[in-house]
Amino acid sequence: MRKFVAESWLVLVLGVVFACLLAGTQTQLSAKIQANQAKALENAIAEVVPGFDEKEQLEIDGNRVFKCVDGSGQVVGWAVDATGSGFIDKIRLVVGLSPDGATITGLKVIEDLETPGLGNKIEGEWADQYETLDATRPIVRVKGERHAADNEISAITGATYSSDYVTDIVNDVTRRIGPKLAEQQ
Amino acid sequence: MADGNGSNFDQFAAGVFSNNPVLVQLLGMCPTLAVTNSVENALVMGAAVTFVVVMSNLITSLLRNLIQPHVRILIFTLTIATFVTIADMALRAYMFDVSKKLGAFVPLIIVNCIIICRAEVVAIKCSVSRSLADAFGMGLGFTMALTILGIVREILGAGTLLKQPVLPAAFVENGHNWVIMILPPGAFLTLGVVVGVVNHLRSRKATGGVA
Repeated sequence: MRKFVAESWLVLVLGVVFACLLAGTQTQLSAKIQANQAKALENAIAEVVPGFDEKEQLEIDGNRVFKCVDGSGQVVGWAVDATGSGFIDKIRLVVGLSPDGATITGLKVIEDLETPGLGNKIEGEWADQYETLDATRPIVRVKGERHAADNEISAITGATYSSDYVTDIVNDVTRRIGPKLAEQQ
Repeated sequence: MADGNGSNFDQFAAGVFSNNPVLVQLLGMCPTLAVTNSVENALVMGAAVTFVVVMSNLITSLLRNLIQPHVRILIFTLTIATFVTIADMALRAYMFDVSKKLGAFVPLIIVNCIIICRAEVVAIKCSVSRSLADAFGMGLGFTMALTILGIVREILGAGTLLKQPVLPAAFVENGHNWVIMILPPGAFLTLGVVVGVVNHLRSRKATGGVA
């Protein structure tokens, strides 16, 4: 026992000291980290549902849904927080839907680890093409030129999989949650 | 290797130039290849590694007379893991967007062999001042190497430098940017060329200008 303590006391002491250090850092920073994550979500909602004053958080079919209303209490849109599989890791995005849940008003990817330079284009302007598409039928991913009237989006060159994964998540949201929104008003 | 000989400044300079951890020792290849697709990522990764190697060398050299030889690796790892976790939390709190891009590569600094190598080669047997000089040299050398790769890859791959366009807009709009430079093969190509140039310069120096 004495030999054990003589040889290992430093490891034990350091373990306790470092644990306290980590606990202190965690206490100091965790509020800020959570605020950052909340802010990313806030910004995404503001981007996909234009012009609302207040929002209320609901849960529909396992997804967080934000009911966005204007000053007079009129629903101006919905923002659905959805996560699905991606090419490398999960993709988390926010889909904006019109008050009746029938039209997509915007899409913003907030978390992904898609390939830099190819797949991570889903974070940028590429996602704008989902705007105004019909949410009552599935969106189709095509290569090359797209026809918005046929509910098509054009895949990212070199990142067809990433384009598919985003489309799958959006289609899943419009299929499961879209029809339930009208009755929530 | 300038380990233990010469002044503290020599020890510092060796880390940056003659004994550069990436370009000469070829250590720490994982972050070097993985996160140098933009200068911003390279700088943040360099800063995080510098912080960890400085703290690890500091703690190790302070405790060097107390550490039992057969538990030294345990103590190195414990120290490194602690400060990597602190660096990771600090990045998530103050540089949220970059930390999302670096993803798992910040926690992976724990297994970066440069840091444990400096603890084992220098900090466990040298004074605090010498260990700190070594740590800052290695950290700066690592950051410099990553930044060189980041500059080449970001300019050729995206036409930008620190997200500011540096090449004519037509370069990217017409699709002349080398997307491969942003992808993993671009990391290998750039690293190969840079290490080749460094070796050429070193051999010229060794032979007095004849290469």
